[in-house]
Amino acid sequence: MKPSIKYFLLIYPAFLLSGGCQKSITSQTGTVRLTFRNTVKTNPMVLGTTSYTNPFGETYKITKFKYYISNVRLGLSGLPTTAIEKESYHLVDQGLPGSLSFSFEAVENSFITLSFLIGVDSTRNVSGAQTGALDPLNDMFWTWNSGYIMAKMEGTSPQSNQVGNKIEYHIGGFSGANNVLRQIGLTFPGSKFVEIRKGKTSEIIIEADFDKWWQTPADVKIADLPVCTTPGVLSKKIADNYSDMFKVTDVVNN
Amino acid sequence: MKFKILIYLILILTGTVLLSDACKKGDGDRSSSGYHPTYLQLTIPAGWPLPPTNIFKDNPLTEEGFQLGRKLFYDGRLSKDGNFPCASCHQQFAAFATYDHQFSHGFDNSFSFRNAPAIFNLAWMKEMHWDGGISHIEVQPLAPITNISEMAETLGNVLKKLGIDSAYKRMFTAAFGDTAINSQRMLKALSQFMGSIQSYNSKYDQVKRGEASFTLAEQNGYNTFKAKCNACHTEPLFTDNSFRNNGLTLDPFLKDKGRMGITGDRVDSLKFKVPTLRNTALTFPYMHDGRRFSLLQVIEHYRSGIEVNQPTLDPLLKNRIAISNQEKVDLVEFLQSLTDNVLLKNTRLEQPR
Ligand code: HEC
Ligand code: HEC
Repeated sequence: MKPSIKYFLLIYPAFLLSGGCQKSITSQTGTVRLTFRNTVKTNPMVLGTTSYTNPFGETYKITKFKYYISNVRLGLSGLPTTAIEKESYHLVDQGLPGSLSFSFEAVENSFITLSFLIGVDSTRNVSGAQTGALDPLNDMFWTWNSGYIMAKMEGTSPQSNQVGNKIEYHIGGFSGANNVLRQIGLTFPGSKFVEIRKGKTSEIIIEADFDKWWQTPADVKIADLPVCTTPGVLSKKIADNYSDMFKVTDVVNN
Repeated sequence: MKFKILIYLILILTGTVLLSDACKKGDGDRSSSGYHPTYLQLTIPAGWPLPPTNIFKDNPLTEEGFQLGRKLFYDGRLSKDGNFPCASCHQQFAAFATYDHQFSHGFDNSFSFRNAPAIFNLAWMKEMHWDGGISHIEVQPLAPITNISEMAETLGNVLKKLGIDSAYKRMFTAAFGDTAINSQRMLKALSQFMGSIQSYNSKYDQVKRGEASFTLAEQNGYNTFKAKCNACHTEPLFTDNSFRNNGLTLDPFLKDKGRMGITGDRVDSLKFKVPTLRNTALTFPYMHDGRRFSLLQVIEHYRSGIEVNQPTLDPLLKNRIAISNQEKVDLVEFLQSLTDNVLLKNTRLEQPR
């Protein structure tokens, strides 16, 4: 009894100093920047004017394309140490060039994986009024069935039977069987590392190919399914389809 | 020995407090800039369960936040044409339900899709709306503000209208420490007001506290209530916050399947949130679509009107509820004892002048 208490008293202040106050940690950090390039197949996505063709030969134009990226982290192989972005919520909006990249501070290391969620984690879906990327002003929040729209595409297609030939895919749902949150893990081309060094910025270029929304595993034909605006089976199918739309095309270590 | 351990413990604890204080400095400390709100506390009436979550955890309840929320709740500018403040459908004299309306009037001569519920004791409610579609009190106002048959406005426009009013600049500053007017602050202020509407001073409550006694009819009604209604309309909140099918049939025009619209699951078809029965004498018409016009009609529903051939009917109701004529009259007497005049006349909840 006695010795153990003494031992505890000895190490306790050390424990407090190291973990008790995060801000006193002085490990070196550098900057990592993520840049998203939205495409349709390999062509840069253009809103409004360009006509695209999906795998079923249906043509369409895109007027809106936005998605949430959250809980971004860099990883090392097999080790628990990772660089985790704090307050990691981003709305990537093809209509707002400034939203296509963001950066954060990471601890110095050579990282080999990048991971994130497509969407907003379930905790934040039920935590009340949010701000910043999660502000309901961004038009990515369902008001009648509280929850974020994780990804959204709107456009037109002659194959759509809706008023004004509209097509509208609002993908969401965060709980139980309706969960569309998809965890993405990416590696870097050519077995490259992302080198984080003090005073430097490394950049990761990520391509997001909208063409993946239509197929694999589920066929989504405009003629049959021009609209999705609720959590449920269709939202989940499309989320499965788009969960492989991302790939890292380049890493630039400065 | 024991004494020594105590000293160690005190040393450790004070160390922890000092250090954690040191960490806090710098973020969110507005006291130096003249931000001195008056903190308030939700009342937890004696004998009540604790609220399932603390709705004010990330939204400290203050007098300034409450007063801002109150102004917003009564302000027509939250609606498109200025005519439909929250209070137009949630009227204090009706315990914040819409008095005597099956559906409420909204923008452009439209009607709300459901009967407007009373608003009080929201801190004890996990999910809001008849179908439980709203997961948190702070995001609830987004639904009426943007609904085209209620307030029909956009959040952006509301914020623009508030931003040009100097009274709001003053009140947002008093409530949150600086002049920024944004959706998060507006929603937090509204929830401070709504969350503070509490009902725990009906005759029933006074009887429970030993300050009054039931009449014979009320006491008989209470006994019947405990035996036949309390399983769903559970004391002291008079709801267990669950979703159930109490035997109403699907309305062919409204086609409202309740909870199923949120979960997409067929087992939830025609299930609606069990409403509280506090102040129920004032919240007629009754049920999610206001299809029962009086308490006598409601009781008659449980006695003879339940549609028993429904797969999702609550098992407690499969044989309907046996209620004698005397019990029926006494039940109504008891339900009337749930009216809370302190709430109805609370001047702090009135339209601010
Ligand atoms: C046009 C009438 C109307 C207006 C205006 C209105 N409401 Fe409501 N309110 C309703 C109806 C109808 C419901 C039930 C909705 C449902 O269940 O689908 C409701 C439900 C609610 C609930 C949930 C209560 C419960 O028991 O689940 C709250 C809280 C609420 N309203 C607050 C507000 C606030 C705050 C505002 C203003 C921002 C507002 N309402 C404006 C009609 C209205
Ligand atoms: C099996 C659960 C259950 C039991 C038992 C039950 N109720 Fe209900 N009650 C409900 C549900 C669910 C609703 C809402 C149904 C709807 O709107 O579709 C409701 C609605 C009501 C309403 C309407 C309240 C309003 O504001 O619209 C009243 C009044 C009521 N019940 C009284 C009673 C009485 C009195 C008893 C006992 C004789 C009783 N209930 C027994 C589940 C139950």
